[in-house]
Amino acid sequence: MARPEARLKELNRADLRHEPGARRDLVVTLNRRSQPRVIAYGDDFMLEKLPAGTRVVYPPPPLEALPDPDTAIRYALLHPLNADPMFAQLNPNMRVTIAIDDVSLPLPPMRRPDVRERLLNSVLQTLADYGVDDVHVVIATSLHRRMTEREIRRTVGERAFKGLWPERLYNFDAENRAEIVMLGKTDHNEEVWLSRRAAESDLLIYLNINLVPMDGGHKSVAVGLAPYQSLRHHHNPATLRDCHSFMDPTRSALHTSANRMGAVINQQVNVFSIETAINNQMYGGMLDFLHKNEDRFSDWDRMRLKGFRWTLGSVSNELRRQMLHQYTAPYGITGVWAGETETVHRQALQRVFQQYAVPVKGQSDVLIVGVPYICPYNVNSIMNPVLVQCTGLGYLFNMFRNKPLLKPGGTMIICHPLRDEFHPEHHPSYIEFFHRCLAETTDATELEKLFEAEFARNPTYIHMYRYGHAYHGVHPFYMWYWGEPARQHCGRVIAAGCEEPEVAARLGWEAADTLDEAIAMATSEQGRSATITYLHLPPLVIADVE
Amino acid sequence: MSVHHSAARGTRTAARAAAFYDLDGTLADLNLVHAALYLFTNLGEWSGRLSYLLGFAARIPALYLAEQRDRHLLNVTLFEIFKGVSRDRLETLGEEYCDRVLLKHLYPQAVELIEANRAAGLEPVLVTGSPDFIVAPLADRLGISQFAANRLVYGRGRATGRLRPPVMAGEAKAHWCAAYAKANGLELAASWGYADSHYDLPFLAAIGHPVAVNPDRRLMATARSRQWPIVRFAKSGGQAGTIAGVDRTAIEGWLGRRLNGAAGSQAERT
Repeated sequence: MARPEARLKELNRADLRHEPGARRDLVVTLNRRSQPRVIAYGDDFMLEKLPAGTRVVYPPPPLEALPDPDTAIRYALLHPLNADPMFAQLNPNMRVTIAIDDVSLPLPPMRRPDVRERLLNSVLQTLADYGVDDVHVVIATSLHRRMTEREIRRTVGERAFKGLWPERLYNFDAENRAEIVMLGKTDHNEEVWLSRRAAESDLLIYLNINLVPMDGGHKSVAVGLAPYQSLRHHHNPATLRDCHSFMDPTRSALHTSANRMGAVINQQVNVFSIETAINNQMYGGMLDFLHKNEDRFSDWDRMRLKGFRWTLGSVSNELRRQMLHQYTAPYGITGVWAGETETVHRQALQRVFQQYAVPVKGQSDVLIVGVPYICPYNVNSIMNPVLVQCTGLGYLFNMFRNKPLLKPGGTMIICHPLRDEFHPEHHPSYIEFFHRCLAETTDATELEKLFEAEFARNPTYIHMYRYGHAYHGVHPFYMWYWGEPARQHCGRVIAAGCEEPEVAARLGWEAADTLDEAIAMATSEQGRSATITYLHLPPLVIADVE
Repeated sequence: MSVHHSAARGTRTAARAAAFYDLDGTLADLNLVHAALYLFTNLGEWSGRLSYLLGFAARIPALYLAEQRDRHLLNVTLFEIFKGVSRDRLETLGEEYCDRVLLKHLYPQAVELIEANRAAGLEPVLVTGSPDFIVAPLADRLGISQFAANRLVYGRGRATGRLRPPVMAGEAKAHWCAAYAKANGLELAASWGYADSHYDLPFLAAIGHPVAVNPDRRLMATARSRQWPIVRFAKSGGQAGTIAGVDRTAIEGWLGRRLNGAAGSQAERT
């Protein structure tokens, strides 16, 4: 039998075939005969003919998945980067905490077995082999909502769930003062707080999923296991305005701050990072046509698209939402690395960019994006207007390296119905934020000054965060701040297909009934000379703008 | 108006907002019928208890119909049974019911929320259809000095079976809160209200931040359509074991201190 690493080397060679430069036809310029394009539109899809000359940026094809992920995980644990192997750090009397990413990753949720289940099984087995009993698994929710029992079971798998739930497998609680501890301050005077259990462990193992380059690294521990007291130092308008982009950790003030905090943590806590990268196989089987260039659709693809849209259009909003949220993606694992946080993260980042990066020449006057039914903060929930703002301006605008796809002062068109809908158990503070705070101002700095502290300390919201399944009271502010670089950069934002114009107005956007109308509004100044780019989603793509 | 003021009223007027709590089903997993049954089974001698229980049983169809139609009618029908019971007996039983039953059925998370709201500057106020002889000791134990509750009319020291208006149900609760806020310089728009039943809709709708707590089916539908936060209190302190380090013992300890304090103050009074 070949040694695991031998197989992995073969895989690496196979992966090289998927270098960005080797992939063609990912940037397409439309002509008059081009087919209509599929555009995500909330819990539906638009099929729109875009103007001739529009540039469409397609995601690269999925990287080849590791054929035997379990072997790759074992290999990574035995051959860590810049650290002793995990087994060499173990002794029976030690206290070990394993932290895992929460329900916000990956999107859509991964088809079982989830990569966290595979990682957990391997790590727990190793710990058991070395007689380590004092093991807790903490879901690094930070200020996100607690995962439900069903979601946890699905994520960690039966074995870990049956053995650990609920005493030794639980959600992090950032508002339990007895369970958090301050480790110190960075040289920028940022307070570094951490889960007490993690801080007092002899070994902290973080199991991470890198869906996009903003995930992983020091951000995993320094954010995932930290309370508001830490987060407020980098989740604020000033820091987020200084991010160019969120998807480029080397030019993101948020990541720089998290790295400073991570360095303080790593001085005091023995952190063993395990990072994984997955490919962008978000839709498979009957929905794999969503990955394709529409000009290359077969009759079978067109028929499936028609059937899919008919099905979505035939059911109620609630049922459609449930159907979509039940979908799970057939992601493949493309890499596993373990060891010292920064070394591991560099390797993972390289693989993630290998998957998503597409070279694109030049910026454009108009950028069109479709906001899908799901974002990190509405899994099994409702995509409310504040989250649409975060997904459009916060995430999709930032899908670039070097320079934004949109010229400074350009127009961003966001396709979404924008309904005044909120989930009262998951997003209670969002409701007040939208109806009360945004009614007064949309200026992020003003919002921070006037309302943030009140929401962060609101007892009912804290209660719903701790005991219910609500996002923390301050969370909608972070979602708003997330859109700050885009708000600073864009001249106009137009919601295309907007059903409730007053919602768009509350966000500070313009509204258009149709995409055609939105494009006409956007190009009203430059006319036909306006350059238009459509960032084709799903799946995800990061534009390497030259 | 059934407003109950404590001696410390002056300090409360400084507060800008309050947190108004319904009691039955909101702070405790009990309702008015539980309280009535406890009182009936502990009133008088065996023969007396039997007659009260038979009286209660005879009224069950009327109570059911009243519950379906109007919470006000339910209260009026239910309290009629107390006719003839002496005030001191009811007050003694109210204390007993509070200490032996009600406190044990309080949701620990509700107590925690009251304290957190208080720390955040929201003055706690109970607004309930339960009788004052039960609510007064509970408010005392929880350190809540303001409450609105139903009050029986007494004649020559015995209950007449009638309630003193306004009967605390439905819109009367909303009116009481508005009057209370005005009298105390509170901003109702900045205040929070917590209730569990669709009968409390007027009460919740009158307050700036309504919260549906363990809502019934109809309140749940309303809360969803009006985008009100929905809170779920559980007797186990949340989903058992799912919360890292839920400090349930601390809550019980806090309640214990309150109880000890109350016992001490009672002893002093006697």
